[in-house]
Amino acid sequence: MVVSIRFDVARESTVDLKLEDFGAFVIFTAIYAAGSLGLPKLHILAYQLTVGEMAAPFVAIFGIPAVFGLTLGQFIANLGFEVAPVAMLSPAISFVGLIAIYYLRKLSTLGGCIIYILITSLWITYLLPQISNISTSVAAPSAFLEQSVAVMVGYVGYLIAKRTMANPKAQVQKH
Amino acid sequence: MTGIFLLLKGLVLYAGILMALSFVGIVVIFLYSDTKNWSASLSKFGRIPRDTVLGGFPVDISLTIQIIIMTELLLFGGAFAMYFAIRIRMGIWPPLGTPTLDDTIAKIQTLILISSSILVELAVYKLKQGNQRAFRAGLIGTTILGAMFPILQFGFEWPHLLLNNILTPSTNFFGATFFLLTGIHGVHVVAGVLAFSYTDVRAFMGQYSPKNHGFVEATSTYWHFVHIIWLFLFALMWQGSRLLI
Repeated sequence: MVVSIRFDVARESTVDLKLEDFGAFVIFTAIYAAGSLGLPKLHILAYQLTVGEMAAPFVAIFGIPAVFGLTLGQFIANLGFEVAPVAMLSPAISFVGLIAIYYLRKLSTLGGCIIYILITSLWITYLLPQISNISTSVAAPSAFLEQSVAVMVGYVGYLIAKRTMANPKAQVQKH
Repeated sequence: MTGIFLLLKGLVLYAGILMALSFVGIVVIFLYSDTKNWSASLSKFGRIPRDTVLGGFPVDISLTIQIIIMTELLLFGGAFAMYFAIRIRMGIWPPLGTPTLDDTIAKIQTLILISSSILVELAVYKLKQGNQRAFRAGLIGTTILGAMFPILQFGFEWPHLLLNNILTPSTNFFGATFFLLTGIHGVHVVAGVLAFSYTDVRAFMGQYSPKNHGFVEATSTYWHFVHIIWLFLFALMWQGSRLLI
């Protein structure tokens, strides 16, 4: 069962990068890095939203360049924040979550987003008590809710984008 | 008791890091095995369409842009290595007495670069669709936005810092690295704007088509590269100047 799912998911996922993907890679890097460093944190009720996290569901449209772009963007953003060395591992964890969205994009983007939320919230829950005085019991719900709200806002944006824009690559190839 | 607690906390920290790295390793192996032919994929990555440059003779500029990007990577890699070497040796960073820089202009410059990157991607996309008008408009827009970047840097920010004696290259190591890194980057932006101006002229002469756009793609690749370097500078010079390592 697991093997067949892996085969079905991976069959259409062969990574094939081209130079023209470099633009998408850089734009996603900028969205995460500049969105986190340059913009003030957005608030919905008591929860802070990171603009870069909202871009995660767009991996389902833009593919691997977006995965690498958001990962590098998070790395750059962490360079700009006063973070502990252990927190520099966060981009690697996000990379895993983004890869989940990428591989599940044909099956269920929402499923991929939920896996992304779970992976990143678990990491933040582990990380916060290591680098600050916040206890795990406080860190866990706050991390989960903040990640959920940010990614779900992005998911709504993804659904709108999917409806309003056709696949750019497909259009160019058609032409 | 406190010792045992600290030991346990340390063990949790290292166990967590180890688990996270193993997790990432498994995913990377999965991704690697899923990509059928890495060598072909990588060699194809740097290839861009042919471009007619010299009197109608087809010229393949793939190697040229690969060499340019590699040279730039080495240049900026060296510059950033120098920055980190100084920073680590200093202990306290930025050195005492360094002013807190206002990041308003830097934020505008970041916005300019993001907008121009999106615009040039749209322009290339429109060219591939055969929409010459939208392509030219996108290209001109990118050039104008690109030109605003050095104007803000060399016309406003630098004079403001230097003439008011807020931060100069001789203030301290932070000042020296700030002007060196942003200066090298600024010169590259000017080069990008010049390249785009040349591309604009050729675009208005009708020299690009859906099958002949190598130079546009090469210029946009260079521009994206300049953009990504800026993101590092923005993070390190303005936002992360108070980070202690």
